[in-house]
Amino acid sequence: MTGSARSEIFARIRHASRGAGAEQIVGELRSLGRAPAAALPCDDLYTAFLVNVLNNQGTVDCAADRSGAVAAVGKYLYEHYRTHRLVAGNDQRLAAMPWRDAGVLPRFGALEPGETVAMSYARLGVAELGAVVTFTGRANPAANNLLAENHIVLVDGAELVPDLEAAWATINMLTAEEGRPRGINFIAGPSSTADIEGKLVQGAHGPRQWHVILLAEAGEEIVEKAREIATPG
Amino acid sequence: MQQHSENFLDNASEALGNKSQAEFRDLMALFTPLVRDAAVQGFEGFDQLRSHVKRIRQHSLDNLDHYLDTYEQHALENGNQVHFARTGDEMNSIVLDICQQHQATRIAKGKSMVTEETGLNDFLQRADLEVKETDLGEYIIQQAGETPSHIVGPALHKTAGEVRELFLDKHELGERDLSEPADLVSEARSVLRRHFLEAQVGIIGANALIAENGYSMLVTNEGNGDLCANLPPVLIICTSVERILPRAEDATAMLRLLVRSATGQPQTCYTSFYSGPRREGDLDGPVETHIVLLDNRRTDILASDYREMLQCIRCGACLNHCPIYTSVGGHAYGWVYQGPMGSILTPLLTSLEQSAALPNACTSCGRCEEVCPSLIPLPELLRDLRHQEMEQKLTPSRWRFGLKMHAWLARHPRLYQFFTGLGIPLLHLVGRRRGSFRRLPMASGWTSQRDFPSPQGKTFMQQYKAGRKAQ
Amino acid sequence: MDKQLDNPAGVQGPSVYLFVTCLADLLRPSVAFDSIRLLEDAGCQVTVPLQQTCCGQPAYNSGDFESTVPLAKQVIAVLEPADYVVVPSGSCAGMICQHYPGLLEGEWRERALELSTRTFEITTFLNDVLKARRGKRPPITLPPVTYHDSCAGLRELGIKQQPRELLREFCDSEVAELQQTDVCCGFGGTFCAKMPEISGKMVNDKLNNALATEAQILAGGDLGCLLNIAGRARRMGRDIEVRHIVELLSGDLDGPAIGEGK
Repeated sequence: MTGSARSEIFARIRHASRGAGAEQIVGELRSLGRAPAAALPCDDLYTAFLVNVLNNQGTVDCAADRSGAVAAVGKYLYEHYRTHRLVAGNDQRLAAMPWRDAGVLPRFGALEPGETVAMSYARLGVAELGAVVTFTGRANPAANNLLAENHIVLVDGAELVPDLEAAWATINMLTAEEGRPRGINFIAGPSSTADIEGKLVQGAHGPRQWHVILLAEAGEEIVEKAREIATPG
Repeated sequence: MQQHSENFLDNASEALGNKSQAEFRDLMALFTPLVRDAAVQGFEGFDQLRSHVKRIRQHSLDNLDHYLDTYEQHALENGNQVHFARTGDEMNSIVLDICQQHQATRIAKGKSMVTEETGLNDFLQRADLEVKETDLGEYIIQQAGETPSHIVGPALHKTAGEVRELFLDKHELGERDLSEPADLVSEARSVLRRHFLEAQVGIIGANALIAENGYSMLVTNEGNGDLCANLPPVLIICTSVERILPRAEDATAMLRLLVRSATGQPQTCYTSFYSGPRREGDLDGPVETHIVLLDNRRTDILASDYREMLQCIRCGACLNHCPIYTSVGGHAYGWVYQGPMGSILTPLLTSLEQSAALPNACTSCGRCEEVCPSLIPLPELLRDLRHQEMEQKLTPSRWRFGLKMHAWLARHPRLYQFFTGLGIPLLHLVGRRRGSFRRLPMASGWTSQRDFPSPQGKTFMQQYKAGRKAQ
Repeated sequence: MDKQLDNPAGVQGPSVYLFVTCLADLLRPSVAFDSIRLLEDAGCQVTVPLQQTCCGQPAYNSGDFESTVPLAKQVIAVLEPADYVVVPSGSCAGMICQHYPGLLEGEWRERALELSTRTFEITTFLNDVLKARRGKRPPITLPPVTYHDSCAGLRELGIKQQPRELLREFCDSEVAELQQTDVCCGFGGTFCAKMPEISGKMVNDKLNNALATEAQILAGGDLGCLLNIAGRARRMGRDIEVRHIVELLSGDLDGPAIGEGK
């Protein structure tokens, strides 16, 4: 059935298409140029990213190095959950973190029922969206993004890009090297819904909290500055 | 989905009679344009973005054979099985076959207007499959046995109180406090979480299909679509052929328009790109993935003067800004798509005969076109459909005759002025004391709602000619 | 094109053809007389071609393009000789400027396009082209005014500031703005008769928004909308004077407002 459906649909589309050659099509597409991106809320890329994360109902922190990041995670876990446990994918970068220094006890793998906090190391961050990007795979099972109550994401300052076009340039480069991952996830906030009377509620199906830690030698003050600029809705 | 578009006027009348719902719609009509405007104003260069995406979409449709072919190749390379469906029935059968091959009984479904169009849920349920909608709005209306009233917020016609009653009735969870929307969201979350974990098949739609790499884009706030795409062992993506865009960056350029136009957000929570089944070494994800591409007359639209309608990104902005949609709500339209886009798509995807009222549910006010992120000339397409109705004699004969008579008379100025010169002064004489008529023969549509202002006196032409003679 | 406008007062101004519109012709001739007066005061030579009737919107918007085409050609032929064509209606001016070219083909499309460059809705013509000023005349005294932006004028021709600036210039009057001023009043030509209940809801909203401004006059530039709103006000027994903008600008306020008795 589907074979004849395929050829019939293709024939009908061909009939309504221009029949241009591939080379001409590529040339035309290139000539259409690039889409305008959203303006960043401030000049500094790090701050702009944090502002938009805050605008997306996320919470933020900034750490200068890996031990700072571990300390920030430990503090966050204790303050919010009185726990030292979290789940993370088999990400080499996460495995190499000095967890013990902050007393954090990570389990590496996919989130299991009963586990509340998951942590991911983002492949990149997009300032325009205030989003982090993860790839599904051993290093970051999909369940960790979606089934945790709280999702903590670490992102390298050096891996921030200003806009979506720059994000795709990076992603296309990474996938050319590593192969195409099953899923590429842009995450920009805790899961939310406004389906009942248009009222925004956090924690629809996915995480209720989303905490982003920027790994960059930028100093505490950019977090403060970001909070001043941000206008979470 | 069963169609009731032929009852548009009765449906509308009923909707207008429901006071509390009408008030809520008025509130939304005030509120949603403000939210959208703020989001659009926050994006400098929104008009340039619209034009850019418009050119890309035009280019994609002009070369759809090329891009569909490229997409299919990459999707196959990524490990998907790709299916083509000429009609809704074909899509439904393909999906059912896949489910049955896996002896699936539980299906978790993400929001998909295409499957609303084909009536997939009913079809699968008739084969004894348990299909649960997982988008909160879709879940609510599914539990209530209703249809979407809005393509983006399908359950926005229901109050929190109604949802509470519904949940108390449908979920056997004993005494509990459901006084806040947050309580209702939490309850749906826990009920559906179980279903997600048990479902054997996930079904989702796609906001775009990307030719260059075979990925499909899925945009949600709740994350429900992602749970459908990641947890069950089999994933089926039901979508349609016109969703194809050349590059990933084109899909996300469109996303910038979509989020601002749909919900007034600068960004939705989850924008995901899925390529196929789990890779070697992956700890989770579906082991088998299918993509079902529906035509259902879209290739007819592609070959017609309504081609631009295929650029619609289903944002719902035209609904939120249409004074007729906001007056009568989405159910009046009697099918899957509502408002201006629905009044065009419904006749094109079903039949003009059955939906003849819809293209007339328009004052040509142009507000929809002004906010359309795809710059579709909606009022013009609606007028073209009215033209088709006129040609096919679907317009009531008294209207056709009346309009032709009027136009004929207007082409004969002397006769026109003779007749109006007789009638108008007479009407003036009768109506001048009160200044308006409560009733007037042949104008019952007008006078059912408002008085008809009486003419001021003789016609302008009579007075003007008399004045020139006197000089 | 502007050279005739640069002429000092007293020297022959531009030749303007007034397209009266069928609604003004039949129901409110004062709109046409007031338009003539305003144009003459601004130095124009006004002609009213006698071969005019209707621009064809009823048939066109109902999808009867076949009946509209000959009518459009007739209107073009009648109006072409003018330097300018002025229309006291946004929707009729929009019909000529925006829709005739799309409806016609070949030579007639060219002629329609050419005419569209010289055709103006009256407040646009007075304010933007003539830059009409009150001069030494005293300002016209008005009670509080609100303004209904008709959809065709607003969206097809971008008429928004023009009537407000003219009210400021001629009447020293600031418009009390309506809530949801960019939302349709429910007239929509034949729509109001085809779907009366929905139209009734829309015009009722418009009327209530107008009453909420506490203005005594609701003005507008399109008789279709004004007849609709005035008719609803009469039906509901609400006191608000509904008048065409040219009546205000020319101080023609003594006669009954639209839908009011003597």
